[in-house]
Amino acid sequence: MLSKRARLWLGLIVTLGLLSVASSCSKAPEGTADDGKDTGGTSKAYASKGDEGTVTGKVTYTGAAPEGKKIDTSADAACTSKSPNLTTEEWAVKDGKVANTFVYIKDGTLADGSKIGDWSFEAPKTAATLDQNGCHYKPHVMGVVVKQDITITNSDPTTHNIHFTGSKNPDWNQSQANGAAAMTHKLNNAEVLVPVKCNQHPWMKAYVGVLRHPLFAVSGEDGSFTIKGVPPGKYNVVAWHEGGANGTEKTMEVTVPAKGAATADFAFGSTAALRGQPSSMPVVSAIEVPMAIRH
Amino acid sequence: MSKGVHRFAVLVAGATFFLIIAGANVTSHDAGLATSDWPLSNGQFFPKMVGNLFWEHGHRMVATAVGILTIALAIYLQFSERRRWVKRLGWLALLGVVAQGLLGGLTVKMNLPLAVSTAHATLAQLFFLTTVSLAVFTSRSWMVAESSIGEDGEGISIRALCVAALAVILAQLVLGATLRHSATWDQELPTGLLLAHIGGALIVTLVVGVTVATVLMRHRGEKYLARPAFFAIAFLVTQLFLGLAAYITRTWSPEDPQPLNPMISITVAHVAVGALVFATMIVLTLRVFRVLRLDRREYVLAPA
Repeated sequence: MLSKRARLWLGLIVTLGLLSVASSCSKAPEGTADDGKDTGGTSKAYASKGDEGTVTGKVTYTGAAPEGKKIDTSADAACTSKSPNLTTEEWAVKDGKVANTFVYIKDGTLADGSKIGDWSFEAPKTAATLDQNGCHYKPHVMGVVVKQDITITNSDPTTHNIHFTGSKNPDWNQSQANGAAAMTHKLNNAEVLVPVKCNQHPWMKAYVGVLRHPLFAVSGEDGSFTIKGVPPGKYNVVAWHEGGANGTEKTMEVTVPAKGAATADFAFGSTAALRGQPSSMPVVSAIEVPMAIRH
Repeated sequence: MSKGVHRFAVLVAGATFFLIIAGANVTSHDAGLATSDWPLSNGQFFPKMVGNLFWEHGHRMVATAVGILTIALAIYLQFSERRRWVKRLGWLALLGVVAQGLLGGLTVKMNLPLAVSTAHATLAQLFFLTTVSLAVFTSRSWMVAESSIGEDGEGISIRALCVAALAVILAQLVLGATLRHSATWDQELPTGLLLAHIGGALIVTLVVGVTVATVLMRHRGEKYLARPAFFAIAFLVTQLFLGLAAYITRTWSPEDPQPLNPMISITVAHVAVGALVFATMIVLTLRVFRVLRLDRREYVLAPA
């Protein structure tokens, strides 16, 4: 039999192990927003002056866009029956128009000389929705304001797990059975973008852009986007797309007049094809920056 | 000593090897967080085994079976074994499997932090070491073997070589586990860790190669030593090719829409054969310590 000392060690190790598990189980309840900090440092709440304008544009793809890759859903018959022809959504391009591009105001100066980062914007009262439908996420790319509610629903006849894998926001993973009630989650830190995945169905991916202001948009199927409520000023507008090894950013400088509109068109695609394209933009050319960090 | 306990110990070691393969499948399929629950899966004992839950819950079921087998072996040893230290080793194995289960739960509840996941993979190898050792200690060949083969006293000590080989293999297994848990299939492997693992492979090849060559040169006629030495080098050569193949397929996998073969099967095989290299070196080391007489001069050099 075990000696007294061995029994003592055994008891100690098992107790420590159980305590560790118990402590990890008793973390803050899902959806709470008390485990992170707003990275802002802002002091003034922005109030609309009624002279805000818009940034509009189109996102296009030059050259032949990569085709979506066929996804093997055979591991879950519920996915196969609901989405028999599922393909990757990395490049959603139709007639040269690119969907799912996250376009946002990165930084800039308002007409009164203040920086956009000096202002704080209240999170919208309405929640953004992320649905698991047909074993893929709808929408594939979305944006929220820091601490805005994200409602997560499961419209599939199978269990999913939703896993936010941000680098500036805590990892968050929850299973959601078919027919289960919607869950709510909040992201407390600005991050472009937080990858979301399902470890149950590893092809499922989505991206959530988290900003401290609501000055963002996601391009639709026709490649167009509109950022509304932009205070007059001069800004760097960034278009982020997941395509490529690490995702790709393009930056463009625009000037938004009072109650006016600025245009920012972005083109992705092969560098060679882009080089031969005539520029119709009265603005600084977009600078393509491969993302340094891949999530 | 009954044959039964040895057979049972071999069964537990074999089941542990199968458990390592099941665990490797979880990592290669990126299934570790297929459910946020532990110890239940999606709140159930027997959930619907679809998608990646097949791998994660399957791993838990195999682990439970190994846990039950280890309890049975520990009890079996108390009744059939006279050597107190072997009985204690049975309890140590039980402690190991309990700790391993808790680490597995901890890593799921903490969303797979690198340190905990690596500790889980490392303890798996240490538990495997324990069960393989129990299989060796309860074997008839161990019981009848005598310390009868003399070292000629010249050259490097085979005992020291074997211990060094075990140490570098274990270090390499830990490095490999860290590398695997540092990036999922859709991410590029961290270059520093990858280079360290490749460097580790060169060191393991050198140390194991010298050890096996020394054993075969000095004791070619002793099957008790030559056989595990031969298997160790055969598994090592296989492992080097699998490592190269794993690197190539793993480099391609970020372009895939999901974890796919051949990346999955090759990386799992790389983990499995790594465990076999470790296991055969454990057997060789234990047998060397059992039958090789220490060189007289080593006693002289030891502190009085």
